Amino acid sequence: MELSQRERLSELVEELTTSGQPQLSQDKMNELKKICKVSNDCIDHLYHSVMAQLNQEHCEVRLSAFQIASELFTRSHHFRTLLVDNFQEFLELTVETDSDQPLPPPKEVARKLRSLALQTVQSWQALYGTAYKKLALGYHFLKQVKKVDFQDAEARSIAERRREEERRRRMERIYKEKVEAASKDMEDSYQEIEATLTEIEACMGLLFPEFGLTDIQTVIRNPSNSQQALKCPLDDEQPCCSKNMRDNRTRGMDEEVEGSREERKGNGKEDKMSNEEEEELYDEDVFIRNSGLISHSYSLDLNLSPGLHVQETEDNEAVVSTLIDLHRLITTKHLPAVKGWVQVFTKAGAEQQLLRRALDLRKSLEAALQKHTELHIDYRTRVRKVMNAFSDKEEDDDDDDDDFDEVPEKEGYEPHIPEHLRGEYGLDPTPSTSAAPVTGKPPAKRPAAPPPHSSSHSPSSRRMKHLTEEEQDPTCAAATLRLLRQNLPLSVESSSGSSVLGSSQSSSDQKPVDAPVVPFGLDLYYWGQEQPNAGKIIKAASQHQFWVPVEVEEEVENEQLLAESRSRYISFPGSFTPVSHYCRAPLGNGKLCQRQDRLKCPFHGQIVPRDQEGRPCSQEDRLREERRKREEQPDWRDAELMRDIEAVTGENLGSDRVGKKGKGKKKKFPNLSDLKQSANTSRSRLEKKVFNKSSMRRVAQVMSKADGRKHDKFSNQFNYALN
Amino acid sequence: MLGFLAARQAGLDDPLRLRRAESTRRVLGLELNPDRDVDRIHGNGINTIDIDAIEGRYMLSGGADGVIAIYDLENFSGKPQYTCKAVCTVGRSSQYVHKFSVETVQWYPYDTGMFVSSAFDKTMKVWDTETLKPAEVFQFEDNVYSHHLSSIARKHSLIAVGTKNPKIQLCDLKSGSRIHVLQGHRAEVLSVQWSPRYEHILASASADSKVKVWDVRRASGSLLTLDQHNGDKTKASSEAVNTAHNGRVNGLCFTGDGLYILTAGTDDRMRLWNSATGENTLVNYGKVCNESRKKLQFTVSRGCSPEFVFVPCGSSIAVYALHTGELVAMHRGHYNNVDCCEFHPDYQELYSGGKDGNILAWVPVLHASDVEEESNSSNKAAANQSSVNPAFQDAWSSDED
Repeated sequence: MELSQRERLSELVEELTTSGQPQLSQDKMNELKKICKVSNDCIDHLYHSVMAQLNQEHCEVRLSAFQIASELFTRSHHFRTLLVDNFQEFLELTVETDSDQPLPPPKEVARKLRSLALQTVQSWQALYGTAYKKLALGYHFLKQVKKVDFQDAEARSIAERRREEERRRRMERIYKEKVEAASKDMEDSYQEIEATLTEIEACMGLLFPEFGLTDIQTVIRNPSNSQQALKCPLDDEQPCCSKNMRDNRTRGMDEEVEGSREERKGNGKEDKMSNEEEEELYDEDVFIRNSGLISHSYSLDLNLSPGLHVQETEDNEAVVSTLIDLHRLITTKHLPAVKGWVQVFTKAGAEQQLLRRALDLRKSLEAALQKHTELHIDYRTRVRKVMNAFSDKEEDDDDDDDDFDEVPEKEGYEPHIPEHLRGEYGLDPTPSTSAAPVTGKPPAKRPAAPPPHSSSHSPSSRRMKHLTEEEQDPTCAAATLRLLRQNLPLSVESSSGSSVLGSSQSSSDQKPVDAPVVPFGLDLYYWGQEQPNAGKIIKAASQHQFWVPVEVEEEVENEQLLAESRSRYISFPGSFTPVSHYCRAPLGNGKLCQRQDRLKCPFHGQIVPRDQEGRPCSQEDRLREERRKREEQPDWRDAELMRDIEAVTGENLGSDRVGKKGKGKKKKFPNLSDLKQSANTSRSRLEKKVFNKSSMRRVAQVMSKADGRKHDKFSNQFNYALN
Repeated sequence: MLGFLAARQAGLDDPLRLRRAESTRRVLGLELNPDRDVDRIHGNGINTIDIDAIEGRYMLSGGADGVIAIYDLENFSGKPQYTCKAVCTVGRSSQYVHKFSVETVQWYPYDTGMFVSSAFDKTMKVWDTETLKPAEVFQFEDNVYSHHLSSIARKHSLIAVGTKNPKIQLCDLKSGSRIHVLQGHRAEVLSVQWSPRYEHILASASADSKVKVWDVRRASGSLLTLDQHNGDKTKASSEAVNTAHNGRVNGLCFTGDGLYILTAGTDDRMRLWNSATGENTLVNYGKVCNESRKKLQFTVSRGCSPEFVFVPCGSSIAVYALHTGELVAMHRGHYNNVDCCEFHPDYQELYSGGKDGNILAWVPVLHASDVEEESNSSNKAAANQSSVNPAFQDAWSSDED
């Protein structure tokens, strides 16, 4: 065989096997066959190169090599004898007969190779089994020992099938355990979920009872409605619902005049409606006296928006907060749990009953959530509520007492804030819940005239009273402020910025603006005083209690300390000026570097003035740049020059390597799928770092050094001396 | 060949010389022959085979499934194509079948009417070939690894049995009882073998890496313990004193004349010992792959001028020249580990059984002489051959031109 043929064969085999294609290229195959036809030597050579490729740890290579082999197997007797002689190895490499040598990745290709190889072996056996004994033996080996079912579509061996079976069984067991755990879980928490559901139902019922306008009669006949549970008991002297009602009454009248208002809708109104009816039943006399309205008949325009809307008020606060808690409980705990159970049951194919139960639970939970969203509850911010819970309660208590105090409600449209309130505004650092309606309501509440009979418990009046009470209390901030106001009537009146307080104002400082604000320090502490023992340190030479040497200098003067107590450090960092210049070094893509570093660009070094093309303006900079470029690339490695030399000598000096230095290694066979890429997991990366040779060595070194030190120190002790 | 014949005719040569030359030639021509098949009886691996010494016609095989089969090796059909039929089997349906893997089978050396088999079900059975029923069953406390009947014994009919117990048992066929134990090993005895030269000499190989030679008349202990370093204390570490191998010794075989002992161990070595002195002959056979946990049955050719050793080596059978240690050939045919091989001294055929459940017959192929007889040119022979079997033809299609 000629050398050229041999080379060409190797080349062809390599090209075919590293193409990464599932099918061989027909042209190359034909060429290969043409060469092989010439002599048996060629086939010998081809056989060896194919076997070499079959030994590669890459299934795409193996698949292609196998395809070449099968092409030639049907054609050449010589190839058949060669291959059959080594059929054990061939089967190991293609069919995975040896479990210690699994087929290499990628997995899909391995599977394909396996099934293809099995099919091919079967067809070979049919064609040549009688003539080649070892082929027949191999086929029987696969069939009898490996128990490969050639009819099986996946051509799995018995071991694989067993593995599959095992896996299935294991999964079943796991599922069973899961189902058991889930059902037990469900048993445990079923009660709880039920309770939660009833509770949330009840809460929503309280907020929005299940009736429309037509049901009012039934509500009237059934006063033990949920609302009573929600609000104060009816047998109270002055039930709060009635108070509310009065408010609403007047508001209802306002609506007649001004039309409907936007903020009170749906539920709120119905609430009030029913309250109204109850009230009528309750005591008409009180009503007439309070409202001054003789007639009960007035028309009421209701603007029922299609969506429900519940606003959180002080009255339903508790219910709403319970509702929120329940909602959170359902969304975060119960619903996910139930969904998990349903998933487990469906996956494991558990009993219908269990599944149905779980599904029912899920449905009811979801229904509850849906209802909750339909309610459109306006939540107030919870934080505030917590902070002012006490004061609110107090106010409520107040309500009962001074219900009939006639205090005009005027803060909404008063042009100026009364003096006593001013203090309040300045004082109160956080707006309270009760303050919020005060500021929030005025635009809404705009009756034609302040009704004299209108409710007495406007928040401001209550606050006023509250404030005066507070002022009596000397521990209160309000009391202090009142004291201040009395002492310094001028300053409080003149400047609303009364926060400028304290002794600095009272002392004779004329220009408060110019005075620097400095942090408090020792120098300020001793300002204007002579310190008697500054910088003196009492030196206790003897630590003993009473044995003291005679001639001891007990006190030592320390200059430094002395100076420190009188001096002050002032750091002067200067002011920040942003960088306005660019690096402007020419980049590879023709642009200029746009980095804005102050002195030095991390890529292009010292920033120097440059012209339009990015060349340095000054000569020496230009020279330096060129020098640097040359240093990077020694001139004997000049790519051009090397290419010339190569062209002349015919030897590869690696000019192509020089050209694209730093661009990463070129993949040898770009068509093959990269095995390393799939192996690039976090684990492997960590492994690379942790089991890095140098780092291992370093750690070992440190450890041994530590050991050695121990040995040095404690070598006279037997337990350290041993190691 | 012709020269040998002429010399033989003229009486110049010893008749043995021609015979040896021819049998050597045949051994060297051993090949996996498509004409010779052995029935596939065993569904599992084959642990042991034995060819009877009287006629050389019947072969016993014991499989890992407990089945024992008897094959007829003689081809009376007159055609080259022959499948060795299983004459009879002790199959799984038989009530006397071994429960577990049969480890050793052996014909009674003087008659094919009886054979002995031992298995991992802790029994050794003495069978009547005619009825295929056990005439005697020896029960042991441990798994039986191997047993052996002396092929030349005239004064005793003892069966040496190596079990998991370190003591070697001697069973007497006459009385049907275990009459004697030989103590000395410290681990299971994997192989026992009677000397074909002296009827009272027994060799045993054990997992404690020792090989001992016993005289069964001497009760006190072994005659020899084979030492791989020949007693050179400097080479042996303290625990390796008197060991034959650096691992388990699982193969043991006397040469045909009984002058040498061959042992194989899991240290992938094979050693040749002088059986009279116990001296290691230090023949280097190279690496002989051996991963078996159980007995390895290998064999030595008989009647060749340099003798050959056939030893299983992974999934192939290695053929070494006995005294030079030269690797002569590597027979690849099994698809899994080979456990046993047996040489047929009359026809120079080799039979081997492996874990793939095949018994393969390696038959001498004498191409050259056949072809010479039939035709004058090799070209014609090729044409002839291809006309015989179309599978041997090349099938280049024309579209590749």
